Amino acid sequence: MKISLDWLREYVAVGLGPAELADRLTMIGLVPESVEERDGDVVLDLETYANRPDTLGHLGVAREIGAALGLPLLEKDWPLVERPEATAEIADVQIAAEDLCPRYCGLVVRGVRIGPSPDWMRRRLEAVGLKPINNIVDVSNYVCLATAQPIHTFDFGRIGGGRIVVRKAQRGETLVDLEGRTLPLEPDMLVIADESKPVALAGVIGGQASGIGPSTRDVFIESAAFAPASIRKTAKALGLQTDASYRFERGSDIGFAPRAALMAASLLCGMGGQASRGLIDRFPRPPKPRTARLRLRRVAELLGVEVPESFVVELLGRLGFSVEAGAKHAWRVTVPTFRVDVDQEADLIEEVARFFGYDRIPAEFTPAGSFDLDVNRKRERLARLRGALLGQGLDEVVNWSFADPERDRAAREGRTPVEILNPISQRASIMRTSLLPGLLENAAWNLHRGIEGVHIFELGNVFGWADEKHSETLRLGILSTGLRPGGSWAEPAAETDVFVVKGAVEALAEALRFEPLAFEPRDHPSFEPGRALAVLYKGQEVGRLGALRASFAAGASVDGEVYAADIDLEALFGKQPRPFEVAAAPKFPGIVRDLSFLVDRDVPYGEVARVLARANQPLLEGFELRDRFAGAPVPADKVSLTVRFRYRHPQRTLVAEEVDRAELEAIGQLRSALDIRLREGKN
Amino acid sequence: MPSLTDRIEGLRRAFEEAAGKAADAKALEELRTAFLGRKKGHLTLLFEDLKSVPAGEKREAGRLINELKQAVSAGLEAVERRLGAARPAAAAASAGEDLTLPGRRRYVGTPHPLTLFEEEIERIFLGMGFTVEEGPEIETDYYNFEALNFPPHHPARDKWDTLFIEGDLLLRTHTSPVQVRVMVRTKPPIRIICPGRVFRHETPDPTHLPMFMQVEGLVVDEGVTFAHLKGTLEYFIRALFGEKLKVRFRPSFFPFTEPSAEVDIECIVCGGRDAACRVCGGSGWKEILGSGMVHPQVLKNVNIDPEKYSGWAFGLGIDRTAMLALGIPEMRYFYENDLRFLRQFGAK
Repeated sequence: MKISLDWLREYVAVGLGPAELADRLTMIGLVPESVEERDGDVVLDLETYANRPDTLGHLGVAREIGAALGLPLLEKDWPLVERPEATAEIADVQIAAEDLCPRYCGLVVRGVRIGPSPDWMRRRLEAVGLKPINNIVDVSNYVCLATAQPIHTFDFGRIGGGRIVVRKAQRGETLVDLEGRTLPLEPDMLVIADESKPVALAGVIGGQASGIGPSTRDVFIESAAFAPASIRKTAKALGLQTDASYRFERGSDIGFAPRAALMAASLLCGMGGQASRGLIDRFPRPPKPRTARLRLRRVAELLGVEVPESFVVELLGRLGFSVEAGAKHAWRVTVPTFRVDVDQEADLIEEVARFFGYDRIPAEFTPAGSFDLDVNRKRERLARLRGALLGQGLDEVVNWSFADPERDRAAREGRTPVEILNPISQRASIMRTSLLPGLLENAAWNLHRGIEGVHIFELGNVFGWADEKHSETLRLGILSTGLRPGGSWAEPAAETDVFVVKGAVEALAEALRFEPLAFEPRDHPSFEPGRALAVLYKGQEVGRLGALRASFAAGASVDGEVYAADIDLEALFGKQPRPFEVAAAPKFPGIVRDLSFLVDRDVPYGEVARVLARANQPLLEGFELRDRFAGAPVPADKVSLTVRFRYRHPQRTLVAEEVDRAELEAIGQLRSALDIRLREGKN
Repeated sequence: MPSLTDRIEGLRRAFEEAAGKAADAKALEELRTAFLGRKKGHLTLLFEDLKSVPAGEKREAGRLINELKQAVSAGLEAVERRLGAARPAAAAASAGEDLTLPGRRRYVGTPHPLTLFEEEIERIFLGMGFTVEEGPEIETDYYNFEALNFPPHHPARDKWDTLFIEGDLLLRTHTSPVQVRVMVRTKPPIRIICPGRVFRHETPDPTHLPMFMQVEGLVVDEGVTFAHLKGTLEYFIRALFGEKLKVRFRPSFFPFTEPSAEVDIECIVCGGRDAACRVCGGSGWKEILGSGMVHPQVLKNVNIDPEKYSGWAFGLGIDRTAMLALGIPEMRYFYENDLRFLRQFGAK
């Protein structure tokens, strides 16, 4: 909302320079987004608030700055040149929809010759960014920008029968508006009609047929109040926003409607017009004045500062409230009609705070009588998990929650996507059902920019419909492709593999202090057949990992092998971590033995591990795979596995012979279960 | 005594010669056994013989034997190092070590800058006794708007331009609905922050995107005042941006707070000295968050008695705050996930 200082001074004798004025306005909440000097005038572009339609005109802004500076509002008379004929004799106004139009005022000004407006008016309109059109149109714009009350002017000669009917549109009616557009009208839209047809869309835009034209001589001035929600619905439905609708949907000053009509008539009289006698003012049910209680104690309780009683009373008076002393240090405050935003004590306290000055309220810590010992477990787990994944060399990404339906479908998640009714674009028209397409897009973006390896994860929700309800599930996505991270001169990086992803998944379970996860081969449409694992926690599937289906990756322009994991954190977090147990470091030395076995190629390591885990050897503290080797001199149908066995007795030092016995037993068990032999020359 | 001294000298020479010739691990082990073997090692035998040395000479002889033992141990270690250096992976052997080679470093991933920044904000509030609460991203009109005192068809909704799902479902435009849910669920005192993704129907530009990260905070208790809002938020902002930063509170409007305050910080780029500053536009102030005293109607909506309790709340965009703090010119960088951009934050 542009405000001209010259225009403002018509209402209040502000003596401040532009910088100081801008600062004072800012500190009462009217923030100038720009301050511009223009032909000796100063134009401030004020930020506007949806709840303060009264500041959408110079009068309201003058009232505010006047209250801040202790200056009175200057009243101005709007004299008329009147004709003998009474308005009621030549025009008739009927309100057929009182709920949507609580007040309607009008009068006729005859004999106005269309032409340019006087210079002073043109200058002011131009200063606030409006193009002068002709004297009649300019007058209605001028009144609106001066007082925030939109008025409308009709060519009175084109109002059939001189009758104004404020009613809802009838099915099938249309209106050609001032811009020449044909508006289809719906039965819940409020129109201004003459005896036969709509002549304007109430509070939004006028009709072309009844508009001011070169031949206009007699003008009907409308100044009304309309129900804000109705104006907004109509304007939204038709995709229109006008200076009038912008103000009416926020709420106009129902008490000011007659004065605005008279002001417009007076301005037209100054241009040679003559007004009809007596204003028509249809105001069937004037609302009771709004009142609110204000207690001085409450001001201090909410603001944390003692504001002097005299300040409160004087300020509210200056802002147009009438203050009536009630009980001790309490008042009954009547709210002026232009303050549609005020209806309770808190609103009045805000007024006090604004003008007392936020900078004069002290800054104190919020005291706490008690602290909540509850920790947000989910966030704690997310932080641990994130740390574990970063430690595995994965970078974190954050992708849109929106997705392209086609790309999202490629993940073949099988969920019915949640669609957005009014998306920004087709490519962001659903909520993602999987994190994987986003991760693939990140891989493509980075690989195409010369990054040799992309190893990333994202924590975020995926969405879908299930049984008429929408679901929102927290998942973890991991992707790894290209060269493994951390290559250097000492250890050149190799191509990544599925074990990078599997290792990250194992690490996260450990970070959460969960039992180790189990993995089972299980196909999924996102992954290459036979190269996917289900991730299981205590038998329940909580995710999957493997080599992404090549066509899925290629669809996102990623050509190399891509490994990925997709973990349902909601399911995983539902599980209890194992209680934390701590044991002293062992007192007695253990013995470490490395054994190399020859194993048939089709025997997975998992089987070997299972046999060893079941071995029930009290001295065997643990074992781990140290090396896996295939190729000469290992026979072609075999692989060599080197397993490190750690033996220990908790109460004494081991003797070699008992370890030998345990070792022989393990070898025997492997031989009988899986036909595994010790590698020759290795023992 | 002379015979023992000669024997020690002879053994020293023999060791040095053998050590010089030792060419593999086997030779090294043999040498170790010959000299330090527990039963028949030369040194074991020498210590054995020390027992028969006359008392007056024992001290000197013991010293000489010990010296030899130290020389043998050091010699064996040198051989071990020499042999080790022959292996290619351990090129950094004794003399020819190139210390200018880069160190071995393990690659650790980089947290996303928005996560980093959010954690920093979270840490400050956790330190003040706040807890973290979360809620759904698909919300209902009630929690996102109505409970927060946005009447239906009110133009105030325009500032929270919404992406709709269907029926009364929408994508939350702020994390305020989490505050409502917490107030419905628990009784005061309440001290929470609510971080998370929020969504708006925005045409993308350098500082607007249809999705961004927000953190909101809420305190509800007896006797909570605007002064508390000021003090706590000032502390927060200074903890985030720097102790000496000027902070300004000015009136504003939000449907769910009354009085409402916008909080500005002095422009950290130009300090108000550049009339064409791209950050503050020359005003010297940069808006950083919105706040206010919880509207009594909002308290009533969740059955909290506004006569007994009061509260304050704030909301801040993590993206834009991070942009300001880190000097990032465009918001979309956060969501492009270009690793060349993201990896800079590993050092932060």
